Amino acid sequence: MSKNHIISLIESAPLASLSESDLNSIRTHTNDCVECRRAFEATQISMLLLKKRTPETFEPPPFFHTRVLAALRERQTVGDQWGWTKVWRAAGTLASSMVATVAALAVLTLVIPASQTGSKTQDMTSSLNPYSAEEVLLDQGGAVNDQVSEDQILNALFGAEDEAAR
Amino acid sequence: MRRYSRRVFHHASKFFRQRSLVEEAAQEVFLKAFTELGSFEGRGSMEGWLTRITTNTCLNLLRSSKRRPESTVSDLTEDETTWLDNNLAGAAMERHQASERSSVAADLAGRVLQRLTPEDQLVLTLIDGEDASVKDVAEMTGWSESKVKVQAFRARRRMREAVEKLLRRKGN
Repeated sequence: MSKNHIISLIESAPLASLSESDLNSIRTHTNDCVECRRAFEATQISMLLLKKRTPETFEPPPFFHTRVLAALRERQTVGDQWGWTKVWRAAGTLASSMVATVAALAVLTLVIPASQTGSKTQDMTSSLNPYSAEEVLLDQGGAVNDQVSEDQILNALFGAEDEAAR
Repeated sequence: MRRYSRRVFHHASKFFRQRSLVEEAAQEVFLKAFTELGSFEGRGSMEGWLTRITTNTCLNLLRSSKRRPESTVSDLTEDETTWLDNNLAGAAMERHQASERSSVAADLAGRVLQRLTPEDQLVLTLIDGEDASVKDVAEMTGWSESKVKVQAFRARRRMREAVEKLLRRKGN
């Protein structure tokens, strides 16, 4: 019988539950095989230790139930507090985001118009540019003015002749 | 709670040798039971449900407690060395069972078991120590029967190796 076979046999089940024939074959084998004998002895010691460990059974102490109920209440309170903490945290996040939005709007309202005033100055400068859109429009107006002035000129030139002819 | 507390205490006592740890486990069991009462659908018995919670709670407590480093000969007390010598001299299990030095053996067992994983400790304590069946352990833990068998097989190997190492060191 191989060493492995013995070892797997003694590991397959508690020693106490092995059949008599299994135990006999183990004994026969361990007479010749030193390593298996050591393994068998160690298994016997292991089994014995586990049996000797048979526990001391403890009884519930007198106020155990009260203690459990107190612990349960405490845990529930902690749970509730944790729930409120979550609500407060969420509210805090919401409030801070609102503050940030208001601040952003204030910046947009106060700072941007100031920068736009600066750009108006630029626009005035650009109005001097004869090719600007405003200039073209003003030119149209100017054209009207020019036309009026041309009429006036014509009147001034030919007005006297017209009156003479009448 | 009054009805089941004794049973919970007895079951938790299988895993811990200190009263404080047993009480801690039992308290945790009832807290879990109260908060998860809704998940108990009444299919099985309340006792079985509580036993399962107790087993898993003890397993978690074992996981959270640190595993001791490997025992050395210097860790063994004189009584433990004597106990090992006596029990090695006589190979028959029947003789060991009559041994009077149960507290020494229990301490040594506890120390050897602490070197193993919580899962190993659980199956060895229940199957080899308490003669529970594979099916019982499967019900207590929620594991499959094949998982229990494999776990027990490996746990026996690891326990044997730990004891062999201890004996070898003692012999040196």
